[in-house]
Amino acid sequence: MITQAKTSRRNFIKGVIASGAAASSSAYMFGVSGCSNQQVSTGGVERLISLNVNGMTRNVDVLPNETLAMTLRYKLGLTGTKLGCDRGECGACTVLVDGVNLYACSLLTHTARNKQITTIEGLESSDGILHPVQQAMIDELGPQCGFCTPGQIMSAVALLSNNPNPTRDEVRRALSGNLCRCGAYDHYINAVMLAAERGI
Amino acid sequence: MAKDMMPAFELYQPDSLDNALELLSRFGDRSWIVAGGHDSFDWFKDRTKYAQYVIDLNNVNELKGINETSEGIEIGAMTSLTEIELNDVIRQRYSLLSDAVSRVASPQIRHIGTIGGNLNQDARCWYYRYGVDCYRAGGNSCYADTPEGQNREHCLWGASRCVAVSPSDVAPAMVVLEATMVIASANGLREVPAEDYFIGPNIDIERMTVIEPGEVLVSIKIPNTWANAMFYFEKVADRNTWDFPLVNISRAMFIENGVVSRIRMAAGAVECIPRRLSVVEQVVAGSELNEETAELASQAAIRGATPLNFNHFKIPLLQNLVKRALRA
Amino acid sequence: MAFNLIGKNFTPPDIYAKVTGKAKYAEDFKVEGMVFCRLLTSTIPHARVSNINLDEALSMPGVLGVLTADEVTDTDIMDNPILTNHPKFIGQPILAVAAESEQIAQDAIEKISFAIEALPFTVDPLESLFPGGPNARMEGNVANPGIEPEEVKWQVSDFVAAGENHLPMGSPSREWSYGDLDNAFASSVYILEESFVTQGLSHNSMEPRTALAYWDGDKCILHASSQSQSFPHPGVASYIGIAPENLVFIAEFCGGGFGSKGGAYPYVAIPALMSKKINRPVMMRISRNEEALIGSARPGFQGRARLGFDQNGKMLAADLYIVQDNGPTNGFNDWLSAGDALSLVYTPNAMRFRGIPVLTNTPHRGPQRGPGQNQIANAIEPMIDKAARELNIDPLAIRKINAPNNYSKYGGAQTSVTSAYLSEALDQGAEMFNWNERRQRSGQRNGSKVTGIGIGTAYHSAGSNGFDGLLRIDTDGILHIHTGVGNLGTYSHTSTSRVAAEVLGYSWDRCVVERGDSSKGLPWNLGQFGSNTSFTMTRTNYAAAQDAVIKIKQLAALRLGGSIEDYELQNERVQHFNDLNLSLSFAEVAQIAIDEGGSYSGLTYPDEINPMTKRAVGHLAGSGLIGVGRDNLARSGSVAALAAGFIEIELDLETGDWEIKDYVGIADCGTVLHPLGLSHQVKGGAVMGIGLAGYERHIYDPQNGLPAHLGLCHSKLPTYLDVPSEMRWGAVALEDPENPVGAKGIGEPVQGCASAALLCAISDALGGHLFNRTPVVKDMIINFTAGQEQSYGPLQISSA
Repeated sequence: MITQAKTSRRNFIKGVIASGAAASSSAYMFGVSGCSNQQVSTGGVERLISLNVNGMTRNVDVLPNETLAMTLRYKLGLTGTKLGCDRGECGACTVLVDGVNLYACSLLTHTARNKQITTIEGLESSDGILHPVQQAMIDELGPQCGFCTPGQIMSAVALLSNNPNPTRDEVRRALSGNLCRCGAYDHYINAVMLAAERGI
Repeated sequence: MAKDMMPAFELYQPDSLDNALELLSRFGDRSWIVAGGHDSFDWFKDRTKYAQYVIDLNNVNELKGINETSEGIEIGAMTSLTEIELNDVIRQRYSLLSDAVSRVASPQIRHIGTIGGNLNQDARCWYYRYGVDCYRAGGNSCYADTPEGQNREHCLWGASRCVAVSPSDVAPAMVVLEATMVIASANGLREVPAEDYFIGPNIDIERMTVIEPGEVLVSIKIPNTWANAMFYFEKVADRNTWDFPLVNISRAMFIENGVVSRIRMAAGAVECIPRRLSVVEQVVAGSELNEETAELASQAAIRGATPLNFNHFKIPLLQNLVKRALRA
Repeated sequence: MAFNLIGKNFTPPDIYAKVTGKAKYAEDFKVEGMVFCRLLTSTIPHARVSNINLDEALSMPGVLGVLTADEVTDTDIMDNPILTNHPKFIGQPILAVAAESEQIAQDAIEKISFAIEALPFTVDPLESLFPGGPNARMEGNVANPGIEPEEVKWQVSDFVAAGENHLPMGSPSREWSYGDLDNAFASSVYILEESFVTQGLSHNSMEPRTALAYWDGDKCILHASSQSQSFPHPGVASYIGIAPENLVFIAEFCGGGFGSKGGAYPYVAIPALMSKKINRPVMMRISRNEEALIGSARPGFQGRARLGFDQNGKMLAADLYIVQDNGPTNGFNDWLSAGDALSLVYTPNAMRFRGIPVLTNTPHRGPQRGPGQNQIANAIEPMIDKAARELNIDPLAIRKINAPNNYSKYGGAQTSVTSAYLSEALDQGAEMFNWNERRQRSGQRNGSKVTGIGIGTAYHSAGSNGFDGLLRIDTDGILHIHTGVGNLGTYSHTSTSRVAAEVLGYSWDRCVVERGDSSKGLPWNLGQFGSNTSFTMTRTNYAAAQDAVIKIKQLAALRLGGSIEDYELQNERVQHFNDLNLSLSFAEVAQIAIDEGGSYSGLTYPDEINPMTKRAVGHLAGSGLIGVGRDNLARSGSVAALAAGFIEIELDLETGDWEIKDYVGIADCGTVLHPLGLSHQVKGGAVMGIGLAGYERHIYDPQNGLPAHLGLCHSKLPTYLDVPSEMRWGAVALEDPENPVGAKGIGEPVQGCASAALLCAISDALGGHLFNRTPVVKDMIINFTAGQEQSYGPLQISSA
């Protein structure tokens, strides 16, 4: 069973729709020190792509198996997008893709090409004015530890752009894909309601 | 166990179904289709399943969207769960489906998660997902169906070496709506009724649908048969969001002259496939809805249930859900 | 007391960074040349690893090195090791691989081969105590801080005597008692005896314990996920094997800890030692599932309580036995705290405590919010309701009659408390909750739904003393309050620092809180845990401020004449009482302090302060007026933080679903320092309490020792939709006499009171049925209402 001398690597298990097989060689991923001898892809997507992040076009070399969270954090330095679980279970990595809140940990960067990506760093206006949700988060003391806060804010921004005057219940439903271990839910909802009241 | 570092693969992003099918034929069993991606990437990150060629269908626009047809509606397999949840036609005529979809996972997952992906998701048995060499993973034992196996979420019916359940909230609704699954391959299209689409371990222990290698689910046709019926959907899960059902129930029904003229019901998470509650339908059809009918139906619903160590609560739970569905 | 700053809301200095994504947690740092390491962890619960073959891995392009257990600092045998070839739980790190990328490191790990010998294991304390049962480790099956590892097997007769429904009570590791227990039981008109199980629990902090380390000569710079700043510093240095002065420890932000990141933990040493070995900065990113296994866990209890009451509901006698699931190491003292807490919250006239901490091959056990106190609140509070029902007493009344006051005694030694206002908290909560009216709704039916009402109470010892305060007034007159408190998200790094500003009469916009990086010169402070910060660090900052007050007056007298009694502080100036012309600004005083030197500018300092504080003062010396001091204020007992929670639920008998209709939490925390921050603690504690009582699982397959709760979905952390969208709170706000501003902590009991209240409400909705188990999950409610047996045995763990 699980008592194996080598780390378990079971090959050739059939997949859901088609079948999978052991992947070939190793590839370099997320090296930050300028390593260049990366695996050359023999087919499939072009690795050099343009991404539209926070209103700017960024040219970036993206591996086929790279998630948007990894690209944002390690290639573009946008570390406000947090990795809490890397499984689409916590919401700390929530970003907007064409205005829709998604888990950046569970989206291939290549899938987000040609779309407008907004991260927490993109909310503040160029003159330094905070987004109303951010300001309300300060005024209502929204965060505790703060680790889930960027994701919470992104979900709130997505909500308010579709529904500027939500009820408390609509807020908590819209934010329900964002966990908070500190249990700051009540304060977060207060902040979103305040932002809605002030208007965005 | 989760190491969260996907191994390398080559990624293809076809922009048409034909291209996707061509890639599938070319790469055969070394390929893996990705829709919303949440299920696929978990396997890759865990390094318990591998793919050399990943075919991402997100650019195949012809697989997206909801169309009205003379026979009903047709939903592209790559349509997001959110789009289905918010679609006016579905809300008006097939609210069972919008209700079921609204209880899937979390908002973020519904925004990109697709109907095709939901219906094709793999078993959620925690042992299988953990990466043990169980029958479903090609091994020769079941870890869940043992004297001390932690099998609270597992099946009441249809155990056959494997005791995993169908985890989908939407699949039972599709069975109730008599949906037809449209499957494409290089050889053309074929259609399979939802009720036959899902398969148990007795048929093939390593997959949960009739989809063969080289095939893609392209759309789901929902006929007019149950349009505007009286619908009931309820899901009981540990958490109120981002959770899989302990049991869910879907019902469509018409009442004429005070008696049930037509009814169709199915339950999820009690068997490896959505469990059509045909016996309940037989008991109820032609009857008035009252506590007596509900009681009789709930007794009928659990015939043959074979609980494991930790899941016998699913028997009264299913009974209660049947009763609630017949009260509403 | 009237305050200018204390008790008022403020904008915390770190919140802007939190809402803009600029807050840098350990994983957010990037330094030139940084590489990654990943861990090879054990896949079986107890094993011996040998013949590790690294050749193939090391030959892979991009692989930079491997760190094995043979190369790391030795730790005490019963401590959690850094790396080990003798893993004692699934997920325990065996070795680390560094590479240019995480993917290469992970690919390389798959190329490492080794021999692994599976050893006997257990995930159930009672199985280990049974004659012939497995031991979790070679040294035995019982250990705890202060208890050397030993093998303990109970008699078969112990098990037979208890039967299937009760906890066997063989020979304990610890026992204490006070009062005449036999007599107290004999005087009781009602006696109940229940056995219970409380689950272990992963902390599941949102931020896994990722760490980044690099070296500058002999100095190691470490970015870590730590809920404390100064307290872990010496321990972390020791794990790395360097002198504390050679460690720069940076923990400005921490994505949650809940006790699991309170002190030094071994894994931070891995990137540091790897970095030393390969001469590159090393980032060790920890995955969610790795965190769930190495991030420690709350110990579970299998327990038994016998409680005797008089006709008024006064608890006369309590006899408690706890078997603690201790994990494979020394673990933590939850079991002892549980006994102490019971003695205080219900003040029985006589009590006996017995317990034994039993080793299992499950994650290392460490403190988690209300360690011991909250488990016992969950076990005992529903029993209190049962007694109330049997004696026909109101649940509020029975809690009040047993509630501690300022004269109550604590624990086996029956020591004193500084203050205790649980009765007042109950009264305040009852009024806010409208208890008398709500109580009438108990059992009310609405279709398949039934209303349940519950009260819960909980305690934690919430304060300490003897730590140091440090501040500096610079030549611009700005007050820098240096604090070694961590950043757990309570904002107490600032709310406690404001005491110094309060004492010196500062306007808050002229104050800066210096924290989060040991190179800034931070004093020796207790960790941010144990609900202690509000009490402990108001005292240290008070001590530093008092030192500054004296120095300011001394310098004024020196420069302007007169004696220090002639001067007072006003508007950030020192002012002669009689002569308005004799006045200096704090900026001027700071310059004079620099000119005068000595203790004024930190060139000298009291010998009694901690070496860390001495280094910090040395770092700041000559840059302004230094206020520094050890907290020598009197402290004579347990600082009793107490809380009461009130809950109304509607429970659906057919689905086991329940919805919380209202929650009120009341804190006995002395003076309120920061109302919004306190609101956060009361409500956030309640959310975590709701998880503890009704959701969260820590499940092991006993056959294979496999964890079934990995992943946040399987751990069942409560979501927005599982808790009320609005909760209410209040504070008793009666000052604690042993704190200079009257404050004491509260972070932990506000969880236990909510979890206990929820359990009582569920029990109430089910006509008083006791599950004697946490969490109470839907299948248990469904089985109960269907009249069928539960799927677990009464003392079975890993069942929810």
